[in-house]
Amino acid sequence: MFEIHCPYCNEKRPEIEFAYAGEAHYVRPTAKEQSEMSDEDWSRYMFIRDNKRGEHAERWWHNAGCNMFFNAIRNTVTDKFVMTYKMGLPPRTDKQIDAARRTDAKEKASS
Amino acid sequence: MLFDQAIDIPECLNAEALTVSLMGEKARYSLRLKSADVSAIKKASGLKLPAKIMGASHGKDVTCAKLGPDEWIVIADPVQKPKLDKALAKVSKDFTCSVTDISHRNVGFGITGADAAKLINVGCPLDLSLEKFPVGKAVRTLFESASILLIRTDEQSFHMECWRSFGPYLRDFFARVVTTR
Repeated sequence: MFEIHCPYCNEKRPEIEFAYAGEAHYVRPTAKEQSEMSDEDWSRYMFIRDNKRGEHAERWWHNAGCNMFFNAIRNTVTDKFVMTYKMGLPPRTDKQIDAARRTDAKEKASS
Repeated sequence: MLFDQAIDIPECLNAEALTVSLMGEKARYSLRLKSADVSAIKKASGLKLPAKIMGASHGKDVTCAKLGPDEWIVIADPVQKPKLDKALAKVSKDFTCSVTDISHRNVGFGITGADAAKLINVGCPLDLSLEKFPVGKAVRTLFESASILLIRTDEQSFHMECWRSFGPYLRDFFARVVTTR
């Protein structure tokens, strides 16, 4: 079974405790913006996603544990999690993702 | 206030290496609190609310565990109920928070013996070694798809809580594991 690091519990927990919750960093338009935007823009917000191949920022939900949502960088090809981080933090930069990948590799090498 | 929890434990779950027992009725509360209020609420209610997720405090009659960043569960002996009802009613009046009496929502199993961790690992993939799961730790997780709260009470015994309607299912699962392995 593979494990996912929950940034709130701060430990690795079995994957069955988690649920996928769509692409991350999609900001819902405010009520005012919604009333002003076209139907096309609204449908773009509602339904259109990047569906990226490779490393992807997405939301996960620790529904059987601490019940919190968090963000993760996951590779959609290999299903490997590069890093997870708390909700509300800005999108991770390439540099941060690279650094996380290096620490992960280092931890693996030492264990 | 005692009620029949209606879960009979079969004979096969009473062995030397592994005993599963149904815990007596408990008073339970679910608390959702704002982090800014926690220390004031601790003082007002007298509850020892742990600061860390998966942390727990174990008093003589009262156990408090932190399940999420703003969520605690209090499990107490029924003799404490009138006192806790009063203290928590005051808390819910004085602070913006949610306090819910869930005494009869859950049932508790006591799982004791050298094979206790083995039995739990049949339905739950957590690492139950003492260094990863020390005595006192409390975790909400899954056991055979049922949501449980797992507390290690000492090296060889666990307190497992589940929703009451899942109780017979877990009991039957324990019995099946014991009789087929």
